[in-house]
Amino acid sequence: MHLYRQPIILFGIVLPVLIATAIIGGGYLLKSQMVTSFDNKQKTYKTYEQGRLAGLEIESQITRQRHHLDRWNEQLSQETASAVATNLRKIAEHLPGKEIQQTAFERPNATGGFGSAAAQKSSQLRIAFRGTYRTLQRTFLELETRMPQLQLQDFQISPYSTQSSLLNFQVTYTAWEN
Amino acid sequence: MRPAPPSGRAVSLAKTHPLRGFLPVRTEPLPSFPLATFQPPASLNALQQFDQACSILRNTTRASNPAWYQDALELNFQLHIRPNGPHISAFYWDGKKSQWSPGPSFTEEILGDAAKLEPVLTELLRHARAHGASALGVILHIADEFATTELKPELNNPASLPELREAAISDPASILEDSSILAAQASWRVLPYPAAGSEVIGTTVTVTRQYESLLTTLRQIGENANFPIITQALSAPLVALMGLAQSLVPTPDKPFVVILQYPWFTALAFFNEFADLRLIRTLQHRGIRKPTNFHNALATTNASLEFVDPDLFLMPLGQDVDTTLDGTLRARFTNCRIEVLAPPPLDGIPAWCPEPVIAASPPPATPTATSHTLSILREDRWALQDFLPTPREIVEIYPDRSEMRLLRWLQLARVALVLTTVLCLAYFTMGMIDMIRRPEWAFDVLQASAIKGRLAKLNAERQKVDHWNNLLEDRSKAWVNMESLARLFPENGGMLVKSYLHSAKPDSAPGQAKVGFIKEWKILGFARDEALETLNTLNTREGIAAHFSEIARITGNSAFAPNIGNRNITINVRTQENNSFKPVPLEESSTADESTYPFTFDLTIIQRFEATDPMALNVPKAP
Repeated sequence: MHLYRQPIILFGIVLPVLIATAIIGGGYLLKSQMVTSFDNKQKTYKTYEQGRLAGLEIESQITRQRHHLDRWNEQLSQETASAVATNLRKIAEHLPGKEIQQTAFERPNATGGFGSAAAQKSSQLRIAFRGTYRTLQRTFLELETRMPQLQLQDFQISPYSTQSSLLNFQVTYTAWEN
Repeated sequence: MRPAPPSGRAVSLAKTHPLRGFLPVRTEPLPSFPLATFQPPASLNALQQFDQACSILRNTTRASNPAWYQDALELNFQLHIRPNGPHISAFYWDGKKSQWSPGPSFTEEILGDAAKLEPVLTELLRHARAHGASALGVILHIADEFATTELKPELNNPASLPELREAAISDPASILEDSSILAAQASWRVLPYPAAGSEVIGTTVTVTRQYESLLTTLRQIGENANFPIITQALSAPLVALMGLAQSLVPTPDKPFVVILQYPWFTALAFFNEFADLRLIRTLQHRGIRKPTNFHNALATTNASLEFVDPDLFLMPLGQDVDTTLDGTLRARFTNCRIEVLAPPPLDGIPAWCPEPVIAASPPPATPTATSHTLSILREDRWALQDFLPTPREIVEIYPDRSEMRLLRWLQLARVALVLTTVLCLAYFTMGMIDMIRRPEWAFDVLQASAIKGRLAKLNAERQKVDHWNNLLEDRSKAWVNMESLARLFPENGGMLVKSYLHSAKPDSAPGQAKVGFIKEWKILGFARDEALETLNTLNTREGIAAHFSEIARITGNSAFAPNIGNRNITINVRTQENNSFKPVPLEESSTADESTYPFTFDLTIIQRFEATDPMALNVPKAP
């Protein structure tokens, strides 16, 4: 008796379970492969998205500053001494001549000041004035605003004479160049 | 003239059965019904066996109807057929209603003619279904033949009765003394003699296979109609003996003999004083109403068993049996108690046909006689042995009950498995579709390379912007220094500045990406008494920090902000008496006259920017 038991168990449950396991396993394997592939794509995509967003952010920053950079490049490409001289002349046109007088304009050859620590190309300018305090302050304000590449290295103020309101000014700049 | 048929639709046969005894009566084929196409499983391979089992599950009610695997006597609706030679009686038993009713008419002519049998059997099915039965048990009480065959003497061991019982079915020739028997012609069942002192442990009751084809046909009809018809062929005398417990009252401590009067034979059952069976024998009538040597046989058997004046109980079990037998017995056995047993009357069942009632009814709650024999005849089913069971090769075609249950459960399990598989695949598919629908899946890797290059370009540009932003930082401006100086020494503050020196120089830190720087102010001048407090205030960390903060706020130059980044300020003010001081009245003194200032001062401020300060200087060249 029980002649059918083995075939029933074999074909009734063992084989279907094996087939179902194989199908589910195959599906799982396929999905796992897709998940692995998807994870890689997702990483790449995430990197792309991060890069894209970062690019957009950088671009927006750069876009805002690009015209400044262009202007800087233009300024930095000019010869420093002549640019300073030109600017001083333009500034002096709007100031009373008795209150400001350029007494010296030198270009020391030795690299010093901020230029000695940085690899960026730079030059030095030493300029001497005689004039009133406020006029010279306005002059420096104009000059340093027009030429942000000028970094004050040394500054001396001394009285011209005890009876005069004029003072002697001597500034030494480090000028960044492109 | 034969008496009229009793209630229960017993129909008279035309004449005495021509081939009574051991040989099968019917030689012509029975009605043919469509045979099942199922094959013996032994002839099939495993897959075919499973396929056949599934086909049986689908096309039959074997899984849902437990009647297929029950005994006929266990079913609620039964048909009892009792051929006793001259008559074939048939009765329906409705177990739910506990009601007997007349059965269909059977005659030898009907049984022998397929065309006539088929409508009867069809009506049988219809009747069973009309009564709401889900199965029909057909119990054949064979009352037209009864014979015994002795067991081999060497098997005379009471402990071997269970094995003998099995062997009588599977290999009767191995246990019978008569080695010339043909198993295909008859069926044998062991009947034990439980009485102590019996010379043999039992005997075998023999029934021919004359009704086997009828029962086979009935079972086939059931198979074809998908309606369980379960058959069981009983020996009517054995059933009658089983029923003694509800009709016989023996004399205590006295043996007794039960005389079963059937139309074609008389069976004698000898019981000892404990009502245990010692011997059973049969006497054939051979065409007359009683055996010719009955009295002698009874007397000699009594003598051989050493029964002295046993009680004699007569059971007339045929409509036209010899009713004068009790009289002749009283005349011959004068010292014996002679009694005619009459079973309790039952509506619809004649008194001479008690076997269906005995077989279908449960054991009596209050038996009139009790003994080991009467007990085991029912409990061990010695009296209910099936003489014509379904052949083993037919039984084996169908899965057994446990296999059908297993098949059914596994069918449900497979459905669950398929659902699980489909759900899993759906889950996987949905997951895959979800992945495919995302932009990441269709993303072109080349775009990543392109954006990488573009980002590198933008970063380079930003580095350039940052570089120049750093270099062009307002870290040292002349006009801011002048504003600082002007606010440090306000007009009419009692101080006169003699010289002002300022320098800014980077730290020397080779190999660093950024370097800090130091800004230094050195101021010499003259002071009056009222300026000393101002100088003292400046000469504190808070004082100089407040001044720097003010300058940073007014000019917007963050290089003077003392509280951001990583920077610090130190100040040192040194005052001395002015050697050239000449005291003059205040109204006569000039602010530009150095000799009017009683003190000189020397003020030094150092502001240090560390390399980690935001204004620290970039060392590398522009990218």
